[in-house]
Amino acid sequence: MAGVLVKGRFPRRRLIQAVATNLVRHLFGGAARSWARNIGSTAPALGSMTLLLLMSGLVGLTGFALHNLEQVESGQASLLHVYLRDDAKPPDVASLWRHLLSDARVAGVTYVNKDQALERAQRIPGLPQLADATESNPFPASLDVQVKKIDDVAAIDALVRYDVAVDPVYPTSYDKGAYQRIQAVLFGTAVAGFALLGLLGFVAVTVTMNSIKAAIHARRDEITIMQLVGAPRWMVRGPFVVEGAITGAVAGVVAGLVTFGLTFAGIAAASGAFTRFAPGVTVTVAAVAAAVVLLVGLGLGSGSSLISLRRHMET
Amino acid sequence: MRPIVEFAAVTRAYGARVALDDVHFELLPGELTFLVGPSGAGKTTLLKLINREIRPSSGRLWVAGMPAHQIKASRVAELRRRVGVVFQDYKLLQRLTARENVAFGLQVGDLRVSDEEARDRSLDALEAVGLGDRGDAYPHQLSGGQQQRVAVARAVVGQPQLLIADEPTGNLDQETAWQMMDLFEDIAAWGTAVLVATHNVEIVTRLQRRVLTLVQGRLVRDQPAGRTGRMAWLASS
Repeated sequence: MAGVLVKGRFPRRRLIQAVATNLVRHLFGGAARSWARNIGSTAPALGSMTLLLLMSGLVGLTGFALHNLEQVESGQASLLHVYLRDDAKPPDVASLWRHLLSDARVAGVTYVNKDQALERAQRIPGLPQLADATESNPFPASLDVQVKKIDDVAAIDALVRYDVAVDPVYPTSYDKGAYQRIQAVLFGTAVAGFALLGLLGFVAVTVTMNSIKAAIHARRDEITIMQLVGAPRWMVRGPFVVEGAITGAVAGVVAGLVTFGLTFAGIAAASGAFTRFAPGVTVTVAAVAAAVVLLVGLGLGSGSSLISLRRHMET
Repeated sequence: MRPIVEFAAVTRAYGARVALDDVHFELLPGELTFLVGPSGAGKTTLLKLINREIRPSSGRLWVAGMPAHQIKASRVAELRRRVGVVFQDYKLLQRLTARENVAFGLQVGDLRVSDEEARDRSLDALEAVGLGDRGDAYPHQLSGGQQQRVAVARAVVGQPQLLIADEPTGNLDQETAWQMMDLFEDIAAWGTAVLVATHNVEIVTRLQRRVLTLVQGRLVRDQPAGRTGRMAWLASS
């Protein structure tokens, strides 16, 4: 029988096709088969990861909206309305205007008369009713002062508050600490959001790692054989990484679709409120958020698998 | 002739317990060698060292031209492709047919092997071990001896320079065990070095091949082919 057992090497026909076929079969086919077979043990990981990604998507969109809101608030907070008394004399108003314009801390000054003030008020929720309640125009004329730095608003307020042209009852729109309060609320919300995401992330990674550990255990014979016949390390580990990525991708698709669906439904149902309370959140932004959620799912699933492999698979 | 395996002062310890102590020997191409000794003598440790499942604590160990004592983890797969392994419990995948089991070993070790090539080569290997007509049978449809033959076909289909077998006849009846030994002789005759760890004294004494005897981790005897007398380890087991 000598010389019969193994024939000479075959010519390497269609090399790329053979490599691609084997890769797909052993990496992706094996992973998909194992994933489907272990769906019972994967379900908790799938559920927790879906929840995490959904929360991430919604928190991400909320964070994006809050960031935009903060930008709007910041812009508004550095705009100081200096209310003029109804009987203010034009020379006094002109004097105040010149005085403000000459100040290096001021970027610009705009005069708003009573009609323009009324028109502006009617665009603010609640104020149209107030305007309609009285026959006369209750809104004062003002000088709108755009201050260069938000920290200088207080100084400008002190500068104009007792001017002869300024309304002594409601001299300016300056609200001490308002901007800081907004920032504190936003900071607190961000910290709470990140803490929640961190906790959910920990749970999702741990549960996914355990599901991969179970998959490794279920396929230990196959792993042993692969290792002993000289399969490269990436070939042995690859299917498990792909399996984790499948879990992450499925969770990402579900969470991404729900994120997009909820946002789309919200925009469709109340576009006005969305524009006001979640500025910048559009259908396009929601689609981008859904895509990011899917990518994060892929990364989270395959990353958790890698950690689990390092811990539970012998070389 | 360059040795396929070379042990030079190899010692392997598990904590304070020394499993293999200062072992020296060489295996040449085409040589069928038996590794004998009582349970716990270090036979499995020696085979694991060859297949780089473990590293030696000290000494130098060369396998198929590669320094197994110092190769990086990334090159272990390359070493293992040069070594075929057969186990007592066969280690076949139950969901695959005999031919698929053989082809699996071939293709996961070398992605460049096409399905067509894998099919032809696995059928050749199965034919060589006497199972050319059972390629489509699943492991549970085969006897223990037939499953072990499939495992041998899987081990040699990649044309390894060395075949190691750990108690390959442990689960087989005497007649099947002899058939298995005939197969190992054929493989050695083809030029592959074959190292068989066994407790089967009858086979070792009747075949009159080279015998390495391990006792308490030490290589106490290296008997050349044709000069295997009394099994020294029997007295100490």
